[in-house]
Amino acid sequence: MGKIVVEVCAGTHCTLMGSMDIIDAIASLPEIGHIEDGLNDIEVIPVPCRNHCKENMVGPIVYVEGEIIPQADQETVLAAIINKIRAQKV
Amino acid sequence: MRGIFTPITKIRRQVFSEVAKFAFEHDIEGDDFGYFYESAYRIIPGEEPLYRDSVFKERAIIRERIRMAMGLPMRPTGTHQPLTEGMQDTADGKKRLDLPLVNVIPFACEKCPTDRIQVSDNCRKCLAHPCTAVCPVKAVSIGKNAAVIDQDKCIKCGRCITACPYHAILRFGRPCAEACGADAIDSDELGRAVINQEKCVACGLCIVTCPFAAISDKSEIFQVITAIRRGKRVAAIIAPSFVGQFGPLATPGKIVSGIRKLGLSHVIEVGWGADYGSMQEADEFIVHVPHDKKFLGTSCCPSWAMFARNVQPETSDCIALSHTPMVAAAKKVKELSPGTLVVFIGPCVAKKLEALEDEVRPYVDFVITYEELMGMFSAKEIELSDMEEDTLGTLASRDGRGYAVAGGVAEALVNSIKRRQPGREVPFMKADNLRDCHKMLRLAKAGKADGYLLEGMACPGGCVGGPGTLSLIPRAGSAVKAFAASSPYLSADDNPML
Ligand code: SF4
Ligand code: FES
Repeated sequence: MGKIVVEVCAGTHCTLMGSMDIIDAIASLPEIGHIEDGLNDIEVIPVPCRNHCKENMVGPIVYVEGEIIPQADQETVLAAIINKIRAQKV
Repeated sequence: MRGIFTPITKIRRQVFSEVAKFAFEHDIEGDDFGYFYESAYRIIPGEEPLYRDSVFKERAIIRERIRMAMGLPMRPTGTHQPLTEGMQDTADGKKRLDLPLVNVIPFACEKCPTDRIQVSDNCRKCLAHPCTAVCPVKAVSIGKNAAVIDQDKCIKCGRCITACPYHAILRFGRPCAEACGADAIDSDELGRAVINQEKCVACGLCIVTCPFAAISDKSEIFQVITAIRRGKRVAAIIAPSFVGQFGPLATPGKIVSGIRKLGLSHVIEVGWGADYGSMQEADEFIVHVPHDKKFLGTSCCPSWAMFARNVQPETSDCIALSHTPMVAAAKKVKELSPGTLVVFIGPCVAKKLEALEDEVRPYVDFVITYEELMGMFSAKEIELSDMEEDTLGTLASRDGRGYAVAGGVAEALVNSIKRRQPGREVPFMKADNLRDCHKMLRLAKAGKADGYLLEGMACPGGCVGGPGTLSLIPRAGSAVKAFAASSPYLSADDNPML
C-alpha cells in the first residue's frame, strides 16, 4: 500500500485560517491506528502559498494526493484521507 | 478552545484582517469608515445564520468585535449609536486603548448555567442507585425515568458523581468561569456573564474559551498601522515565544523580514529584556531571600504578578520588583532611539493591561498579539515563506529565550543565581495556571516555601500557551527550545549587550 501525500498550505492566509491545526490533527491520526490501518503511512508536507487565496479561494487549502480541498478543516481533511486509504485497499 | 481551530478562532482572526486591511489600504482621514458596515456581511454572508439562530445577531456581534479590534468601547445595546462613532478619532496613530480591556458582549452571551450537577440520560434508574445513599443533603431522588437532583438542596459536593456506576451524573459550569483562575466572572441581572474588572488580571483565557465567542479584548492594530502610515518610526519588540507561531515555513529570520515589510523599523528580542530581568531578580534573590523576603516570586507574567499581589497582599513584597521583560526591552529602545514608538508583539493579553500602567506607558506604546500580527500579514499579503532571512536587532541568551516555556524562567534564574553564588541550592516551585498559582501562594504563606523561588504563570504551558498564539503548545514549545539552543550565549551573564 502506498503512502498518502497530504500537502497543507502554510502560506499566510491559510496559516491565519488554521492550517497549522490541520497539520497537527493529521499527526494525531496514528493514535486511532487500531481502527484503520494505513494511518501510519501519511506524509504531511507544508507547502508555500500557491496563490489560490489571491484568486478568492478561502483557506486553508489542503491537497490530499493532489486533490484540492478549499476551506479545509480537520473534519474534511481527515475524512478525505480515510477515503483515500480505503480506496487504495480495494 | 485551545488546540482545535473552531469557527470562533476563525471569526476572531477574520475581524483582525478586516480591520488591518482597512487600516493599510483605505482613506483614514476621510469618511471611508462605512467599510465596516460591509465587513459584517463579508464575514457572515448570505441570509441564513451560520452558527446561531439569527444572521442579524451574528452580524451584530461581528460589529462589536470590530469596534473592539479598533480599540473602541462596545456600544450600548439599548440605545442608538452608529457603528462608526469614534472611529475617525482613533486614526491618529496615538494610543487609545482604555479599560475595560476584556469584555463580554452581553447579547452574545448564552447565559450558560453556573456550576451545576445534573443527571444525564446515561442514568438507567438502577436498583442500587447509590447516588441517593451518598448524598448528604437528600437532594437526589429517583424520579419516573431517572434520578433527579433538587437544585435547591444540592450543595455540589460531587459525591453522587463518583458513586454512579454509569457515569451518568455530570458537573458542568460556565466555560468562561472555569477558565478564569481569578474568579472574575460574575453574572449580570439577566444571568449573563460579566467580568468583575476589580478581579480581572487580563490573562485572556476566557476569550479563547467561551464556546459562543462572546468575549473579546480590545486591540491596537489599527493604531499601530495608522502610526506607520502617518510616517512615525515604530519599532517592534517581540516576545521569546514568537518562533513557530507563523507556520512551519516561517523561520525566525523570515518573520523578522515580514515585520519590517509591514513598515516597522526594527525588531528587537524581548528575550534580551528577559536576560536583564534575570540579572535583577537573581540579585534580588541573593540579597533578600530568605532574610527579609521569605521567598521570591517571578515578575515576568503580569497576570500572575497582579494576581499574587491582589489575592495575598501580605506576601506581595515577595513578588520581584522588576517589571516584565517587555518593559526592559522597551526602555532600551527608547534610550537608543528617543521618539521611536514601541510596539510589543507577544502571545499575551495581560501585557495590554500592564502597558496601561502609569510607569509603563512612557515606554510601551502599543501591544499586539501574534494572532493580530498574522492578521496584518494577511491584510498586506505578505508571504513569510518568500521573505529573505533577516536578523534580530538585539540578541538574547538561551536562558532568556527559554522564558517562553513554563519552567524556563525558574531555570534561567537558578542559573544566574548559581553564577553569582556557586554551590547555592535554589529550591523552586512553579505553577502554570492561576488556580495552581493560588495554591502555591497559600503554601508560601504557610511557610512551606521559605527560601524558594516561585515561578508563576497564568497560561498553561507558559507564554507559548497564551491566548494570542496560533500554534499548538507542544509544537511551539519545541520551536522555542530549538531557537534558544541556537543562541551564542548560555545565560544572561554571558550576554555582552547587558
Ligand atoms: S462561556 Fe460564553 S456564553 Fe457561556 S456564560 Fe460564559 S460568556 Fe456566556
Ligand atoms: S496562503 Fe494558502 S493558498 Fe495562499
